[in-house]
Amino acid sequence: MKDYMISMFIDDELSLDEKIDFVEAVHSDMTFKDETVDLLHQEKLIRSEVVARVPGVAIQAKRKFAYALLRPLGLFASGLAAAAIILFFTVDPPARRTVPYRFVIYQPDVDRAEITGSFTGWDAIPMKPKGTSGYWEIILELPDGEHRFGYILEGRRRMADPTIPTREKDDFGGENSILEVHV
Amino acid sequence: MDSVKKFRAFYIEHKDKFFAYLMRMTGDYHLAGDIMQESFTRYLERYGADNQSAALLYTIGRNVFFDNRRRQKRNTPLQEDQPDCAQDQEYDLWVREEYRQVLTALQKLDEGERDLLALVVSSGLAYREIAKMVGISEANLKVKVHRSRTRLRQILQAGDL
Repeated sequence: MKDYMISMFIDDELSLDEKIDFVEAVHSDMTFKDETVDLLHQEKLIRSEVVARVPGVAIQAKRKFAYALLRPLGLFASGLAAAAIILFFTVDPPARRTVPYRFVIYQPDVDRAEITGSFTGWDAIPMKPKGTSGYWEIILELPDGEHRFGYILEGRRRMADPTIPTREKDDFGGENSILEVHV
Repeated sequence: MDSVKKFRAFYIEHKDKFFAYLMRMTGDYHLAGDIMQESFTRYLERYGADNQSAALLYTIGRNVFFDNRRRQKRNTPLQEDQPDCAQDQEYDLWVREEYRQVLTALQKLDEGERDLLALVVSSGLAYREIAKMVGISEANLKVKVHRSRTRLRQILQAGDL
């Protein structure tokens, strides 16, 4: 029995005839069986979840002009690209592609509400109370793409936005809302 | 339905697995995010939203990764090739603690070994498709994938991570 059949077994690549040979080898050869079990345990580890959060991607049909020109410089030239863009912007600043988005929550029993998200660099930004109505609000400029965020109540309690059904668990046992913005 | 909307369904279906693949390849959260952004953008620009293929997405991702590696080697010859995970704040924040040892071990594989193993465990593509993607025979792929697995086991068992 070829050792690589173990990987083919793990990856569901064995034909029926090969499966017969494989099972017979597992029964007759203890070393082969032990190696198979070892690699199966390892595989569980390799295939387990890598990250607690996958970053979002801004999907756009056409790449922006400046970015398309700068792309050949490569991802690692981003510092140089940023410097070039800043220089370019000081001469003729183009309009930034963002859209104002209003976040509102109803929390009449708290003294402080903040918002934190991928668009704030996960810094907590204070929200403003709407009089004595119990509503808290903030308007932020958001770029195109998928954003994660949540609210922080009284500086310690995290909550997702109850009006947005798309959520994911964060690394701290809480949940973040997922918001898609199209500019 | 406009192309971006149509493409979004493809993106949502593949982004988690694709990002996991890029993490296994790079061991670097920030770089994996950059490559993912570039890969999806390049895909939509060059192939549009109608032609949706996981094999094509992974081919683009590999190309972006290897383009970067070449540039990195050319531009920073005095620096270490491997990313310094400890320097990456996002890595500390978002990479699952239980997985960090595996990522470190994966980075110790040869790049070719890591490439094949990461593709096999992440993409869900068949050996036939992966062999075509990397330009080797399916028979050769079988042997190499298994060699990568046993090599990874040696690294994990040595425990020097």
